[in-house]
Amino acid sequence: MKKRVLATLLAAAMGLSLLTGCGGGSSSGGSASGGGSGEAAAVDTSKEVELVMYVISDRPAGQDIVDENLNKLLKEKLNCTLKINWIGWAEYAQKYPLLFSSGEAFDMAYCAGWLGFSNLARRGAFMELDTMLQQYAPDNYALQSETALAQATVDGHLYAVPTLLPTYTTYGAIYRGDIASEAGITDTIDTFEEVEQYCDYIVANHPEMEAINEYSSGPETSLVWTRSNGLYDIDANLRFLFYDPSAEHPTVTPLYDLDGATDFYKRMKEWSDKGYWSKSALADTDSQKTQNGKAGLTFHNIDTWSGYTVQQPDWDFKYGTMTKDVAHLPFTQDCMVISNTSKNPERALALWNLITTDQEVYDAFYYGIEGTTYELNDQGQFTILDMDLYSTNAMWAARTMELNRNQAGVPEEYDTIRQGWEETIKDGVGTEKFTGFVLDTTNITTEVAACTNAKQQYGWPLELGYTDDVEASIEEYRQAMKAAGIDKVVEECQKQLDAYIESLGQ
Amino acid sequence: MKKEGFFDEFKKNKALFAMAAPAFLLVLVMSYFPMSGLILAFKEYRYNLGVFGSPFNGLQNFGYLFSSGTGWLITRNTILYNLLNLITSQLLAVIIAIFITEINAKYFKKVTQTVILLPYFISWVVVGVFVFSIFNYETGLINSIIQTFGGEKVNFYMMPMAWPIIICAFNAWKWTGYNSVIYIAAVTGVDGEINEAAAIDGATIFQRIRYITLPSIRPTLVTMILLQVGRILRGDFEMFYQIVGNNGQLFNATDVIDTYVFRSLITNPDIGMTAAATFYQSVLCFAIIMIVNTIVKKIDEDYALF
Repeated sequence: MKKRVLATLLAAAMGLSLLTGCGGGSSSGGSASGGGSGEAAAVDTSKEVELVMYVISDRPAGQDIVDENLNKLLKEKLNCTLKINWIGWAEYAQKYPLLFSSGEAFDMAYCAGWLGFSNLARRGAFMELDTMLQQYAPDNYALQSETALAQATVDGHLYAVPTLLPTYTTYGAIYRGDIASEAGITDTIDTFEEVEQYCDYIVANHPEMEAINEYSSGPETSLVWTRSNGLYDIDANLRFLFYDPSAEHPTVTPLYDLDGATDFYKRMKEWSDKGYWSKSALADTDSQKTQNGKAGLTFHNIDTWSGYTVQQPDWDFKYGTMTKDVAHLPFTQDCMVISNTSKNPERALALWNLITTDQEVYDAFYYGIEGTTYELNDQGQFTILDMDLYSTNAMWAARTMELNRNQAGVPEEYDTIRQGWEETIKDGVGTEKFTGFVLDTTNITTEVAACTNAKQQYGWPLELGYTDDVEASIEEYRQAMKAAGIDKVVEECQKQLDAYIESLGQ
Repeated sequence: MKKEGFFDEFKKNKALFAMAAPAFLLVLVMSYFPMSGLILAFKEYRYNLGVFGSPFNGLQNFGYLFSSGTGWLITRNTILYNLLNLITSQLLAVIIAIFITEINAKYFKKVTQTVILLPYFISWVVVGVFVFSIFNYETGLINSIIQTFGGEKVNFYMMPMAWPIIICAFNAWKWTGYNSVIYIAAVTGVDGEINEAAAIDGATIFQRIRYITLPSIRPTLVTMILLQVGRILRGDFEMFYQIVGNNGQLFNATDVIDTYVFRSLITNPDIGMTAAATFYQSVLCFAIIMIVNTIVKKIDEDYALF
């Protein structure tokens, strides 16, 4: 048990190379045979295979019966079975990167920008799908947009199958409608002032809950603050650097040097002093406080909100968009990758093709068993029958515009809010202009590692108001970041951002 | 006398070599072969090229450890924590071993021994939950007690200086029972007649412990300490990670090499950089064990490890 992380990393890496003999050969062999054989699109299904998929979420109790039902279907259609492994929210940050370095043979995984898609792709964690996607998942390929495929291409190779359902850059407040009306707040809570009003009420009248859900994965308030000011982060893994997409020449700036940052941190200290969240939040591993009635508000995206509304219909969860300039997230925000260690990439892609284009398979994969885990109403909306048994799959990348069902009971606002966003989004304007920007951290890995650490050591406590003197703490944070090499990171990001803008102009 | 070569030696002691072979192979496969992986410390690892196919990149992987000046702090912390833990857990283990062997009531002795050993089987994850329930500000055990008696609550997660004590205490709590097993064996091995003779000559129990038991277990003590010194740059990752978690305010006082590496690379994993940290730890550990062993050898050759 001791020294697990370092030791397994190294030992597993060794083990892989020793066992396979020629570690380098396996991946290129797979794709070469895929591209070169020139056979028809149909995949050879004569041999039964078990495919393994990793997703990120807490494993539902009913996974076994859902697997059984899905596998009956898959056995018949593709002569394969699928085993889904879940990585829990409390441990994903630690465990996900280890998937690819442990050498474990698995086929498919959920991936996203916030999971380090481009970095992993650049280091050869995934199998390249340049010709395979078209060959083995032709129906899925036909639905992919050029933009999406371009975003999934790193260093000239296609490394992921992007989602077919657009998602958005918005962050907002997910809060309890019942408590808001109790407090006499009728307006949608979507400004810091309104959040304050709502939280003050909770602190005064609901001592059994925390006002804002903060736990050990770190605060989200700086993201909400920057988004509501129309700023955007340079990379999902570098959420200490921001720029203004509406500017003609955006400058990359560290969070603490942004206009108004001091006031923001002071406000967070006020919130903390008022008891909006626990003074031991960073030691608390419970991520589900809001759904379980232990916290009153979570800052997150609209899909998290729609999940809450169905989980706790009586609490009337509401969503207040706190993003000034909404844009689409890159289509790699939800994507499916084939592991470099996959033994059956062809079958995995064929399975993906089936899941994303066949309603029957999609339903069995995403919603489970009709009558046991979900039921449909006459509008084709689904209802989850037992939240504790199974809700939906966490392979969010499988959703498509055609097959995805709305959940019965999700408020109409879910559609109206998103339609509202679609109307404001204009191609190539504001944040939308930067959807295709992918940062390459190859030249700054040392500095990024040191800054990531400094952000957690000094940035998180500051953002949670765990300080006696805000200004002194900001200065301490700034100095730590400077020592970690933030200047070089800013310079590199600026260079790449400028190059991206220039490439758009051509 | 003619010097015998390896082959003669082998012929003479075939049975002994045969008996040593499995252990030899095990060490070779589990400890020596993986060492070739240290080469990654000097490489830019690529998942598809493997350990030996990835390109070299010089000393670049070591950069993040030292660039921001944290390298020295975490090295110092690791060494100090290990020294502190070494002293407390070994000292307590010796004391407990002596007490337990001196106890005559059979059932009390067995029960005590079991209770002391029990924490060894509790995983750090569970201990982490204990720590949170004891020390958290709102509902923690200590703060609840303080509040009941009308005192001012204490925010332990803002007090870096309290944590070396907390960590050391939990470490001792977990390891003392386990370590004491070895000392109990050593103390039991002391010749009973010497003790009896001393008692007849009028030595008190403390005199007997001081002049008979302690000198008798000295070789065991020295060996145990030497073995621990060899790991002095390895932070017990799970202990630190589960107890301290993500509380940045505590890092300057609680960060060890292992936790720092883990945190720095969590969002942008890089095997080369991880290997660099392990390499750094291994080289320093090797140097320290060589130095300490040489010193021990100078003082008394019988006590040295090799």
